[in-house]
Amino acid sequence: VFYCVSECDFGKDRSSGLNWCVGRGCLGNHHASCTSLYKKPFVESFEETPLLVAVLTYMGYGILTIFGYLRDFLRDWKFEKCHLAREREEQKDFVPLYQDFENFYTRNLYMRIRDNWNRPIHSVPGAKMDLVERVTPDYNWTFEHTGKVLKDVINMGSYNYLGFAENTGTCADAASECTVKYGVGVCSSRQETGNLDKHEELEKLVARFLGVESSMVFGMGFATNSMNIPALMGKGCLILSDELNHASLVLGARLSGATIRVFKHNNMQSLEKLLWDAVVHGQPRTHRPWKKILILVEGIYSMEGSIVRLPEIIALKKKYKAYLYLDEAHSIGALGPRGRGVVDYFGLDPCDIDIMMGTFTKSFGSAGGYIGGKKDLVDYLRLHSHSAVYATSMSPPITQQIITSMKCIMGEDGTTLGQERLCQLSENTTYFRRRLHEMGFIIYGNNDSPVVPLMLYMPAKIGAFGREMLKRNIGTVVVGFPATPIIESRARFCVSAAHTREMLDTALNAISEVGDLLQLKYSRKNRHGREGTDLFSYLESHQD
Amino acid sequence: MIRTGRERWVQREPIENMALGDAWKQLSWFYYQYVLVTALYMLEPWERTIFNSLLITVAAMAVYTGYVFMPQHIMAILHYFEVVQ
Repeated sequence: VFYCVSECDFGKDRSSGLNWCVGRGCLGNHHASCTSLYKKPFVESFEETPLLVAVLTYMGYGILTIFGYLRDFLRDWKFEKCHLAREREEQKDFVPLYQDFENFYTRNLYMRIRDNWNRPIHSVPGAKMDLVERVTPDYNWTFEHTGKVLKDVINMGSYNYLGFAENTGTCADAASECTVKYGVGVCSSRQETGNLDKHEELEKLVARFLGVESSMVFGMGFATNSMNIPALMGKGCLILSDELNHASLVLGARLSGATIRVFKHNNMQSLEKLLWDAVVHGQPRTHRPWKKILILVEGIYSMEGSIVRLPEIIALKKKYKAYLYLDEAHSIGALGPRGRGVVDYFGLDPCDIDIMMGTFTKSFGSAGGYIGGKKDLVDYLRLHSHSAVYATSMSPPITQQIITSMKCIMGEDGTTLGQERLCQLSENTTYFRRRLHEMGFIIYGNNDSPVVPLMLYMPAKIGAFGREMLKRNIGTVVVGFPATPIIESRARFCVSAAHTREMLDTALNAISEVGDLLQLKYSRKNRHGREGTDLFSYLESHQD
Repeated sequence: MIRTGRERWVQREPIENMALGDAWKQLSWFYYQYVLVTALYMLEPWERTIFNSLLITVAAMAVYTGYVFMPQHIMAILHYFEVVQ
């Protein structure tokens, strides 16, 4: 099968309504003649930053930098009390222990709006939660608890996609029974005496859930990635990783010692070019063939809300004979008609993916990670992975929580609760995204992804948005540099199946209010009832 | 305005104060937007004072220079275009 590498591009943004076509020599508009690899439309949009907003954002950062230098000067010359870590007087002439300039951003920009992060939660982080109220007498360097608790704050930040983060119900009861029987700690690593029968039961269940031969579970999702990629890759191997991969994947890739090449985010032409170069030219200088080529992608990218183009990647992988490592941290349980992740969403065969990795933190209300694949692979990892040999194994109540919630999603507990939650999540996602788009905000990502990033851009609006939403009793997560590019700071909402329509409406009204107050409605695309009110939207609507 | 029990609208404030109140609200909204866009929102009050003073000083100097030199410049332009001798 050959592929043509043209892709349709409408208007200003990279929203692609279309896919690849199977056939050589097609260029430009070729919608009617393609048979596509996608069974349903793949609609993603990343609207471009408005130029004025970008200029003003840079200006804002410039002003903050100037004042940052001023404050550093005052701190250095002792005009102002320094709250940071400093060497003792006797060690002043030694090699510096603390890197001052590296932390410029942290102490001069992050500290000023630090009250939006690390908020202590006083209840289970379900659809509504309780927050401990804090005040700061010295502009966020120290916090004090007032003793008051903010009750019933609508939680739009927790990765609680299917609503399993609860302290009542079958999952919680099963977990407490398990604690009574097994205790809480395991006191050993998996290879020594930390292998409970619950772990084996869970591994068989996970393998059945994913549709793979065998699987292995680990105590921590980050450690799953960072400890298992080095076990599989080494020097002389090639890793092709997406631009926006998570820190755990990047760390694992770097620890392995393999050569890493980065392709543009979700861009199949870039990936194909890298694969072609790798196969044709081989290793640098010696031109020997690469020992292994591994493509490292995620199911849903949590900062963008975009879904990986899995059918195309599988086609590429088969053509160039590479291996595929799919990190389904956010997509397992949240995508697909049966909740089995991106593979289910696109209707593909799980055997096509060599290593399926995921975490239990998001949709299962628990903690930990898993790796699924062929039996030989998993047996190899049991012996050679650092996480299996050295790390403490999963705690029993956590294991039981995953077992109960997974059985619920699969429908094996005898109820339709799992299927109801999956439907509720996809309804909530569609509704939330549609309403936000209609209001005029710039929303990134795929229409089906439950992660919704809302663009803020300006540094002051990051802090203002978090605080204003908390005043209206809604807890949100705001993200800035270095997790995102410097001007593209955003607020990230995670829609949950536990959110009712009323909660979403309350949240949406508050977001609209705050959006008007802070002037966040930057979108230039057509909105409901606002077509053609200004020249730009008129031109854009008539362009395609 | 407050509503009495007998469905008559009674004006609480005099009309001039209401217009002033609206103007004040509008001005403080503009100040809030200025503070957000220039990232002064994140700075401490004394830093805001420094920045605002600098900005007002520079703006005042520009206005003063304009006031002093504008007549000369306008006369020069008109002379160049031979509108006036």
